[in-house]
Amino acid sequence: MLSALLAIPFLGALGLMLWPGELSLEKVRRAALALLLLQLAWSLRLLLLFDPSCGGMQLQESIPWIESLGLEYRLGVDGLSLPLVLVNAGLTLVSAYASTTVTQRPRLYFALLLVISGAVNGAFLSLNLLLFFLFYELELIPLWLLISVWGGARRAYAATKFLIFTAVSGGLILAAFLGLALVTGEADFSLTPVLSGQLGMGTQLVLLGALLVGFGIKIPLVPFHTWLPDAHTEASTPVSVLLAGVLLKLGTYGLLRFCLGLFPEAWAVAAPWLAIWAAVSVLYGSLAAIAQRDMKRMVAYSSVGHMGYVLLAAAAATPVSLLGAEFQMVSHGLISALLFLLVGEVYATTGTRDLDVLRGLLNPERGLPLTGSLMIVGVMASAGLPGMAGFISEFLVFRGSLAAFPVATLASMVGSGLTAVYFLLLVNRVFFGRLAVTPPEPGGPLDIRLPAVPLVRHLPAMVLTLLVVAIGLAPSGLGYLSEQATTAMSQFPALLAAISGKPA
Amino acid sequence: MAPLNPGRSRTRQAPIPTAAELEQRLLAGETLLAESPTHLLEVVGVLESYGEVLDAYSINLVYQAEKQFLNPLPIFKFLDGDPSLARIWKHLNHDRINFEYAEYCQKAMFWHGTGGLDAYLDTDAFRQSCAAIIRCKTRRDPLLGLLHPLFPDFLIELIRSAATTHALGQFWRVMSDLFLDLARAERDGRVGSIAQLVNFLMDGLVAAAAQPITYGVEVAGQRFWVLPPEAALTFLVDVAVPYVEAVFLRGMPFLGTVSFNAQAQQISPDQSRFAYGALYADPLPTMGAGIPPSLLMQDMYRHLPEPLHHWYRQQGRGEGDVRVKICASFQKAMFCVTNAAINGTFPHPLTSTDLTQQQANRAYAAAWVGRLSHARTDCLSDESAAEDGSRS
Repeated sequence: MLSALLAIPFLGALGLMLWPGELSLEKVRRAALALLLLQLAWSLRLLLLFDPSCGGMQLQESIPWIESLGLEYRLGVDGLSLPLVLVNAGLTLVSAYASTTVTQRPRLYFALLLVISGAVNGAFLSLNLLLFFLFYELELIPLWLLISVWGGARRAYAATKFLIFTAVSGGLILAAFLGLALVTGEADFSLTPVLSGQLGMGTQLVLLGALLVGFGIKIPLVPFHTWLPDAHTEASTPVSVLLAGVLLKLGTYGLLRFCLGLFPEAWAVAAPWLAIWAAVSVLYGSLAAIAQRDMKRMVAYSSVGHMGYVLLAAAAATPVSLLGAEFQMVSHGLISALLFLLVGEVYATTGTRDLDVLRGLLNPERGLPLTGSLMIVGVMASAGLPGMAGFISEFLVFRGSLAAFPVATLASMVGSGLTAVYFLLLVNRVFFGRLAVTPPEPGGPLDIRLPAVPLVRHLPAMVLTLLVVAIGLAPSGLGYLSEQATTAMSQFPALLAAISGKPA
Repeated sequence: MAPLNPGRSRTRQAPIPTAAELEQRLLAGETLLAESPTHLLEVVGVLESYGEVLDAYSINLVYQAEKQFLNPLPIFKFLDGDPSLARIWKHLNHDRINFEYAEYCQKAMFWHGTGGLDAYLDTDAFRQSCAAIIRCKTRRDPLLGLLHPLFPDFLIELIRSAATTHALGQFWRVMSDLFLDLARAERDGRVGSIAQLVNFLMDGLVAAAAQPITYGVEVAGQRFWVLPPEAALTFLVDVAVPYVEAVFLRGMPFLGTVSFNAQAQQISPDQSRFAYGALYADPLPTMGAGIPPSLLMQDMYRHLPEPLHHWYRQQGRGEGDVRVKICASFQKAMFCVTNAAINGTFPHPLTSTDLTQQQANRAYAAAWVGRLSHARTDCLSDESAAEDGSRS
C-alpha cells in the first residue's frame, strides 16, 4: 500500500527517461500529470484506509534490507505524516501543471519532479532512521538540478549555495543518527525514544543539537536561512512551489519526528531556548520580508518567519501546540505554494517582480484582476485572517504555546502582525493604484500592454485558494486526522519521566 | 506653478505636441487629431455609438426635468415614464443605459456654473418664476409645503438643477442627431477624412448655434416658464460652451482612481483651474469602481457599430479591454469636437489678411492652447492608435 507511493513516482520517472522515441513537452507533461494524479488518488485511498482514532503507526510495511547496517525498508503512516503525504501529492501535481514553459530537456525535468515527490513520500513514511536519511538526501540532487538547469540568471550561485547548505544539513543528521547508534549500542535505527537511563543528558543534548542544526537548515531557521531566498529567487515557479510547499516541511517534520520523538527529555531541557530561537526566527523573517523589493524574496522571507511558528509549537509540545504545528505545516504548504504560483504569474506576464516597478495590476481591463484577487486572499490567509487556514494554525500554535512560553509566543504574535504589514505593502504597491509597469529607461511612458492570463492557468491557484478557505472554515477534518498522533507526541516527555521515575 | 498631477505625464503613451505646434495647427486650419484611416474609423464609430447613447440620455434628462419636476422621491426617474415590471426588471438587471453618467455631467455643469445659463439662474426674473412655481406646488404637496419654510433655498436650488438638466437634454438632442448624421455622411462618402469630419461637426454646431434654449413646466394644470424665451438663451454660447468647460475641461476628480490630496495642493483651490475633464482623463482606469466615465464606456459598448467593434476585437486583449479602447477613441473624438468648436468660434476668418484680425485669432488660439497643451494630447498623434493596444 505505502510502497505504491514510492513505486508510482520512481518507476514513472524511470519510464519517462527510458521511453523510446521523441517525446514533446506536452506529451511528457501529460504523462507526468497522469502519474501524479495516480499518486494523488493513491494518497487519497490511503486517507480512506487510515484510522484517525489510532495514534500509532498504521499500514506498516517492512522488508529487511541490509540488516548488518541496521538499514530496514520499513514504512508506516500516522496522523503526523499522512497530511504531509497528501500535501506532497497535491503540490507536485500543481507544480507539474504549472510547468508549461520547460523547453529544455522536458523528460529530465519531469522525471526529476517525480523523483523529488517519491523521495519526499519516502522520507515522510520511513520508520527507519537510515531509510529516512536516504530519502532525505535523495531529493537533494534533483532539486539542485532543477534550480541549476532551469533556474534564473544567478542559478549557479543559488544552486551551489543550496547544495552546500543542504549537504551540511544531511551530514549533521547522518552524524546524529550514527552517533545515536554508536553511543546507545543499538544499531537498529528505529524510532524508539532515548531514555536518560540509556544516555546521559549531555550526550543527548549534543545529538539533539546536531539534529536541530541539520533540520534548522532545511526548515530554514535563522541564522541558517540564507540559502532559501536565493534558491527561491532563481528557481522557476513550479520548483518554488515544491520547495516552499513540500521540501521545507521535511525540516519541520524532522523536528517533530526525530528531534522531539527521539530525544524527548533533552527536548524538554532545550525547549525554553528553542522558543526564543523560534521567536527570533519569526521576527527576523518578518522584518527581513518588510525590507524586500522582490516579491519572491518577500514570500521566501515570510516562509522563514512562518516556519518559526512550528519550532515554537514544537518547543511548547502541548497537545494543542503540536496540532497547531501540523496545521501550520499544511496551511503554510498550501498558502506559500499559492503565493509562489501567483508571483510566478505576475513575473511571466510583466517580466518583473520588483515592487518599485509594478503598480495597479488589479486593473480589471488591462491588469491581472484574477491573479490580484487570489493574491489578496492568499496574503490574508498568510496573515492569519479568520476564515482561512492560516488563522487556525496560528491560533492553535499561539494558544498551545502561550502558557509555556508567554514572551516567545507574544513575540511571535508580533511577527504574525508584521505578516500583515509586509503583505499589505506588497498588495498596495503591486496591485492597487493606476496600472503601470515602469519602463527600463527612466522617464519613459509606462507599459500598460500586458497580455491577458487565460483562466485555465489560474486553475491550480483557484484550487489552492479553495483548500485554504475550506481548511479555515472546516478545520475539524484535519484536526481529527492528526489529533491522536500529535497528542501522543506531546505525552513523550511525561511518559518518559514516569518511566524513569523523574519529574518531566 | 507646479503641475497639479505630477505623476500624470508618466502615463502618456505617445509624444506630446508642444503648445506652439498646437497653436500652429489651429491657426493653419489643420486638425488637432492626426489624419489616418484608423483615426477616422475610431472617431466616426465611437461618435455613432455616442450618438445612440446621447439620444437615450437626452430623452431621459428632458423626461426628468419635465415629469419628475420637484418630485421629492424620484425612484422611477430612469424609466422614462414606463414603470412596467419588464422595464423595472431590465433596469435592476442592468440591461439598460447608465443614466447616472448623464446626471454626473449635469452635476458637473451645475457645479462649475459658467456661461449665460448659470448667470440667468441668479437673476430676479428667475427667482420670480421660481416663487410662482413653488407657491403653486406647495399648495398641493404637504411635504414640500413643510420643507419650503424650513429651507427656503432648497426648492429654488432644485429648480436650478432641473433647468440645467433640461438644458443639457436639449444640448444632447442636437449633438446626438449631429453624431448620427456624421455616421451616415461617412457611409455616404461625404466624410472621408478627419478634416472633413471636423468641418462637418463645425457646420453642425454653427447651424445650431442660435437655437433657443427654453424650459417650461406644468404644475397643477398651470404652465410656468423656468427658462423663458425672453431670457434669450441660445444653444452654443449658453449651453454648449459651459458644457465643454465643465465636462471636457474642468470635470471633477474621480473618486477611487487617484488619491487627490488637497492639503498637498494636489487639487487647485481655484475651481477654474480644475483639469479633470474628458480631455485630461487617463483612459486606463475605466471600469474601476465608482468612476463615472466607465458607465459611458459600457453604454457605448452596447451600441458599437460593427466595423469599429471588429477593429477593437483585433487589438490588445480583444473584448477583454474593449472599454479602455472605447475610452481612448472617445477622447480622440472629443478632441475633434473641441477642434470643431474652436474653429467655429474664431473671432475672425482664418483666411483674413488683416493684421489686427490675425492677432485676435492668434490670441484666441493661444488661450485655448494654454489649456489644451497639458491635456491628453498624446492621443492625437498617428502612433497613438497602435499604442492603444495593437502592439500588445
